[in-house]
Amino acid sequence: MAMPSLIPQALAGATAGFPVKVNPKFDGSGLDLTSYKYVTSYNNFYEFTTDKGGVKELANQGWKTDPWTIKIGGLVENPFKADVNELVKKLGGIEERIYRFRCVEAWSMVVPWDGFPLRKLIELAKPKSSARFLKFTTFVDPKSAPGQKRRTIDWPYVEALNMAEATNDLAFVATGVYGKPLPNQNGAPIRLVVPWKYGFKSIKSIVKIEFTSKRPVNTWQQLAPEEYGFYANVNPEVDHPRWSQASERIIGGGFSARQPTLLFNGYEKEVGHIYKGVNLRLLY
Amino acid sequence: MRVVKLLIWTIIAVGGLYPAYPLVMGDSTVLADPAKYLLEYYGKTATLFLIAVLSLSPLQTLFPKAAIVRNFNRHRRLIGVGAFFFALTHLCFYAVYTGGLSGFFEDIGKPFILSGVTAFAILFVLAVTSANRVIRRLGGKNWKRLHRLVYGAAVLLVFHQALQEKAGAVQTVYFFAPLAVLQILRIGRTYFQPKKA
Ligand code: HEM
Repeated sequence: MAMPSLIPQALAGATAGFPVKVNPKFDGSGLDLTSYKYVTSYNNFYEFTTDKGGVKELANQGWKTDPWTIKIGGLVENPFKADVNELVKKLGGIEERIYRFRCVEAWSMVVPWDGFPLRKLIELAKPKSSARFLKFTTFVDPKSAPGQKRRTIDWPYVEALNMAEATNDLAFVATGVYGKPLPNQNGAPIRLVVPWKYGFKSIKSIVKIEFTSKRPVNTWQQLAPEEYGFYANVNPEVDHPRWSQASERIIGGGFSARQPTLLFNGYEKEVGHIYKGVNLRLLY
Repeated sequence: MRVVKLLIWTIIAVGGLYPAYPLVMGDSTVLADPAKYLLEYYGKTATLFLIAVLSLSPLQTLFPKAAIVRNFNRHRRLIGVGAFFFALTHLCFYAVYTGGLSGFFEDIGKPFILSGVTAFAILFVLAVTSANRVIRRLGGKNWKRLHRLVYGAAVLLVFHQALQEKAGAVQTVYFFAPLAVLQILRIGRTYFQPKKA
């Protein structure tokens, strides 16, 4: 795993140097890491293709993710635009966290992400009291992302969290995996990671974060509301219309590796309180 | 024609064994979730074989003189049994994919799974009634009537394939559009063109 770094924190960057320190709260004890080759060659990224095995190739044919500007706006005191590398420096560098990752398609990985807590970015933006949701938007560039030439999804892809979710300690913004800058297919150079939710909530290649008072409609909810809700919390009790979510296939585990799925993907202790009194069967 | 039969067998064998290649070569995009890969691969192969069978009789109507169409038509049964064989393989990998039969019984009530199961049941009945002996027992007319069920299977499979596509049923259209065109042309030819004496 990543070693304590010799390079000063201030040099930490998304796509440049990559000194990381492990956050001991999320050091992955008890978890088996999914190997780098699977993490970086099995990706859902419909901007390129719906074929998970084909993203890696298509996302690396000239799509430029460095430099990359991210815009923070909406109901905040301090709207700003920043280069991702500059932003990482401003927020005090990068830490590593090992998280479970559960896709709604009933497969799972364990990934060592590098990045910073989303809360730090929120503190920098200073949301107004009327801000209740964060809306995240991905890039649009059909020339580089051939999947966007098809109008099957109303591009750009958007995702959203409510403020309680976004400020939870688990909500993370990743700029790297395995101590290396995020490969394009994993959502370079900056993506969300919310490990208690199905993977599609962890939006890739973010260009804009807006604070809103009204709940945004996330892309998958818009596309298939009976299949994908706003919360999309991992929940073994609520089936997808086409398959059970009670257990999951472990990526890279051959034909038979499978484990029971845990409520909130095993993070009930951290996030369960957010959903007290919420009927998770109705609000999936 | 011997050559055509050999060709069909070759396509079945190559089509069936093809996935061994990425598995043996250690293709990480396949090894990441091999059961899903094989499930999807054999689902697609089964569907393509079924579409091939269903294309042959319209082709015969539209091109009555083409020798190649006639030769393939003689081996429709073989292609149909091939479709069943791949559907069976698809089903086997479904069991692997869901970790055994308990998952199957949990999910069988879902319309998506039910469409597959019903289509499979039809293909099963058609496959087991495809031996010469059975055809003779049933009589040609009954056999033909029974085997019209294949169109029901095709409709179910359009549903089955389209439902699992997440962003527009693009692949389903690519698969079935040629067949739909052929069938429409055939109907046009059969019903709206005066037959020559
Ligand atoms: C025996 C009952 C069947 C079951 C339980 C079943 C189950 C499944 C499942 C679970 C998937 C994957 C869905 C997903 O990824 O969301 C699938 C896909 C598919 N199945 Fe079936 N199926 C059955 C029968 C059939 C039959 C008889 C055919 C064709 C002859 C067929 C053709 C397909 C096709 C073409 C796909 C899409 C593959 C892709 O493009 O990824 N299935 N089926």
